[in-house]
Amino acid sequence: MELFKKTLNPVAALAIIAVLDIFLFLVVGAWTVGGGETMMTGLIAKFFMGGAIDRIPFWNVAFPPDPYYWKIYISLGMVFGAFMGAVLSKEFCWRMPHRLTEWVMITIGGLLMGIGIRLAFVCNVSTFFGLTPEMNLGGYLAVSGILAGTWVGTWIYKKNLEG
Amino acid sequence: MTPLAECLTAFIFGTTVGLLVQRSRYCNVAALRDAMLFKTYRNTKAMLVAMMIMTLGFTAFITIGAGKPMHFDVGLNTFIGLFLFGLGMVLAGACTVSTWVRAGEGNIGAIWALLFTFIGMFLFSLLWSFVYWPPAPQTMTGTPNLAGLQFGFANAATLQSKTGIPAVVFGALQALVLFGIYRAILKRERAEAPVSELEAAAVESAACDAWAEAPAEPALQGAIARAEAGQSA
Repeated sequence: MELFKKTLNPVAALAIIAVLDIFLFLVVGAWTVGGGETMMTGLIAKFFMGGAIDRIPFWNVAFPPDPYYWKIYISLGMVFGAFMGAVLSKEFCWRMPHRLTEWVMITIGGLLMGIGIRLAFVCNVSTFFGLTPEMNLGGYLAVSGILAGTWVGTWIYKKNLEG
Repeated sequence: MTPLAECLTAFIFGTTVGLLVQRSRYCNVAALRDAMLFKTYRNTKAMLVAMMIMTLGFTAFITIGAGKPMHFDVGLNTFIGLFLFGLGMVLAGACTVSTWVRAGEGNIGAIWALLFTFIGMFLFSLLWSFVYWPPAPQTMTGTPNLAGLQFGFANAATLQSKTGIPAVVFGALQALVLFGIYRAILKRERAEAPVSELEAAAVESAACDAWAEAPAEPALQGAIARAEAGQSA
């Protein structure tokens, strides 16, 4: 199949995703990533901590762990779809960052993403493909925030490459 | 819709998105970072096109009261949170979508980034349990609450009910602004000397997978040098 032989034009890919996202918006809500991850964090924490998790108010009040939270399955679908795409196009292979600085950057970056999502209630997907198209005030706040953050991050990234 | 049907719909949507993102090498980080650093707009254009379609689609359905818009109060936390997220995603070289997609391609670095995203969320849950800020969705009022640094809730639907003008009109205006940015990018691309395709492809793959492909570094260095030469010229 042609799809698995050459790289798809990203404009075409994103246009298809946009149309599908409008259907999702009608049925359950716009495409979002972050809520699902929070719920996974809660479920994993509950698995390891058992009843002790109830002592952390966040998991009682704000986000009671629930395996039937639909956003979890968007993320699981994404990893499954990407796996299928990679296997069918013979692009699947185990790969790893090579240098210590890369590991450090990924670790700090991952932590900041997790904290940022929880602070804002949204990640970049909801920012660009949910809140802003819904013309939510939060979309404009979030776009300003992410542009400022990316600008600072890009500066660090560039310094790191040069050094 | 039953919870099970919701989960199944979400899974089918996610699978299609994962496949399309994997096959197109689309990357949200690259959409912003490459535009700032390398002045290349492959992913930025895709993001703008998607936003135009969604803006028109969402606001058209909001006009007739259909669809399920996100409903929670926003505030200073929205700005600060996305600032931290934007910084983090550039450092990690991937956002939440690309971490899942690359995990599916067998990238250990992406799995590591995800693990620490989960840890970051758990750490925040501990912190939240002391400060109770930002307010939990259950306690949101939809109105500005300056003590909590919350600005309340407003979207295309509230615009429509306040002004009496259909939401899709505002949507069309926003789509026009997005289209203006898109056209400015096309114009800029045409004005600049065309980069050879091979070189452009190398920069793109390097930019979106910085920590997975060591040979990409010379291409990145070259692109930085070019960008700087362009600025000083």
